[in-house]
Amino acid sequence: MQKLLDTHCIAPAHTAAVPGLAEPLTHLMGCHACDLLMERPEPGVHAQVLCPCCGASLYRYQPQMLRRSLALVLTALLLFVPACFLPIMEVRAFGYQTLDTVWSGVVHLYAAGGALQSIAIVVFLSSMLIPLLKLLSQFLVLLSILFNCARSYALVLYRLYQHVREWGMLEVYLIGILVSLVKLLDIAEPKIGAGLICFAALLFVQVWLDATMEPQQVWCALTEDASDAGY
Amino acid sequence: MRAIDAGVALCDVCHALEYVQTSDEHALCKRCGGAVHLRKPNSLVRTWALLLTSVLLYIPANVLPIMMVHSLGQSQPSTIMAGVIDLIQYDMVPIALVVFIASIVVPSFKLIGLALIVTSVQLKRPLTAKQCSRMYRFIEIIGRWSMLDIFVITVLVASVRFGNLATISADFGAIAFCAVVILTMLAALTFDARLIWDHLQEPEQAQNKISADACAD
Repeated sequence: MQKLLDTHCIAPAHTAAVPGLAEPLTHLMGCHACDLLMERPEPGVHAQVLCPCCGASLYRYQPQMLRRSLALVLTALLLFVPACFLPIMEVRAFGYQTLDTVWSGVVHLYAAGGALQSIAIVVFLSSMLIPLLKLLSQFLVLLSILFNCARSYALVLYRLYQHVREWGMLEVYLIGILVSLVKLLDIAEPKIGAGLICFAALLFVQVWLDATMEPQQVWCALTEDASDAGY
Repeated sequence: MRAIDAGVALCDVCHALEYVQTSDEHALCKRCGGAVHLRKPNSLVRTWALLLTSVLLYIPANVLPIMMVHSLGQSQPSTIMAGVIDLIQYDMVPIALVVFIASIVVPSFKLIGLALIVTSVQLKRPLTAKQCSRMYRFIEIIGRWSMLDIFVITVLVASVRFGNLATISADFGAIAFCAVVILTMLAALTFDARLIWDHLQEPEQAQNKISADACAD
């Protein structure tokens, strides 16, 4: 992990020379968190570039990004269906037995009717629809880079991904499942189901994928020639 | 130097640089087609609006029951705090701590923290920019974790269905709580982190007109 040297910043003394409209901006980069304008470091030289002013992470180079991400996104997509539709837990109490899946959680909340349906919709969005949307758009974007086709659609999809990424909350759901398992211990005997294992695996792969698929590399690959991107 | 001083803005989505006219509020990024703003329009006002709404909703979220436990014809309401206390009584202090942090500490911290950041940007001092930006990054990361309680309710509603003996249903506090989480996440998104650094780098004698126009309102 190499920190960007301070010398990469444009010193205020040079400012008069730097701007000037129509001058190409390719040799510059900006910090999204503090608006610092600096010279773009050579691609591939630094493993990670941090903003010298505010410390925000600007860029993290991922070798073999495309292949590793494709492997991860395929794994995640395969895990998605069992994670959502296999029982996460089986609860026995008073002679009753209930099976709980991610999907049935949404259905039972929705069945309550009235204003409470809004919670069911939020849960459905944040635990199923948005994670699926994220994975699908990542998958299609990677395919578009791989086969060098449909770039304009891929740009739209990846933009969509950037907008929704924060609203997928698989990791929070997993902790929610664990907390409710503990809460159920005193009235029933909850048993962990296969769904929970798939869910945890899905979460693990998805977090790994999000870390591997470096946005700056993807944007570059989507807009430049595949040969030129070097990733 | 700041990008804004060079008449350059970062794309909100892909962070590519783009020349932007001060007056142009609908500029699009040439690389990805996303919106490009020198500063997000009306960032402070919108953040305040979302924050105040969340503060108001925070009251019913904590006072109203988030779920009802129906057992043998009786219904017992349960608030967020009651859920934590229950866990402590069952000797599950670590889990109680997790729930307490996710559903009480995090939302309060988010509300107070964002309010502090926005105030200090508006007043141009109390907190240093480093503190603010660190706090803002932290708030962005932890924001989603307050949804924990909503997911716990979802799982409980689906798994505790024992006829007349015991069932659980969600209640109106949960809606308010859900709204608080979503609104505070939106407030953090609406706030333009670049504002934190603006007054530091602006020469004091000639307050930069561009940023004043773009974000002071």
